[in-house]
Amino acid sequence: MIWEELIEPLIAIDLDAESYEDVMEQIGGLLIREGYTKASYTEALIAREKEFPTGLDVDGVGVAIPHTDVSHVNKAGIAIGILRNPVTFIQMGTDDETVEVRLVFMLAVVNPNEHIDQLQRIIAIIQDKDVLNKLLKVKDTNQIIEIIKEKEKTL
Amino acid sequence: MKKKVIVACGGAVATSTIAANKVVELCKKNDINVEICQIRISEIESNLPGTDLIVTTSKVKRDYGVPLITGMPFISGVGVEKTEAAILKVLKG
Repeated sequence: MIWEELIEPLIAIDLDAESYEDVMEQIGGLLIREGYTKASYTEALIAREKEFPTGLDVDGVGVAIPHTDVSHVNKAGIAIGILRNPVTFIQMGTDDETVEVRLVFMLAVVNPNEHIDQLQRIIAIIQDKDVLNKLLKVKDTNQIIEIIKEKEKTL
Repeated sequence: MKKKVIVACGGAVATSTIAANKVVELCKKNDINVEICQIRISEIESNLPGTDLIVTTSKVKRDYGVPLITGMPFISGVGVEKTEAAILKVLKG
């Protein structure tokens, strides 16, 4: 279950970020601080985002799922950021189509094939527009965990 | 006959894992014997021999001479059925 792995130090609400690079530094910084990823993680995220963007337009709601090579990761985890103002990301699978993002699910992946169930759960959460809209309205980190817990009961 | 499908993304970390799993499930449901090769975009060329289909979740500009289908719908959830139909058409055709 995803909600069982979510911890408050890896969740940022009302995050004030100016660009996607800023998002990477701030949310990636949480993963580094908590020991999930190496110091090289943030820079690797930005480099990878430039080449292989991770923005998604989920039926009008902008979401990004930044992640990078396993060599920058110590242990698997997820950091979540709800941005105060939208930040422009490039859409996955495109060069130049943009999407305005306020929801960021940052993944620290160690061994993808061992975590296929977790990855699929994250995708199921991201594909649910109702869940995304609820997440955009939260006031504290516990609410995020509760919303994801409720969603996972249906999976 | 066994079909070889390359599933590739930028780092072979997250999105290609999801897409690869979807292709495996789809083939199982349709009695297609499939071998999945989950790799990075940059590794496609060296894994080409014998490949029937390439599914990617990143933009690929090159023509590898093998049918290429975007696996993005498996991530965004939009247009999954159409993508599955396109994959089946290549693998059954």
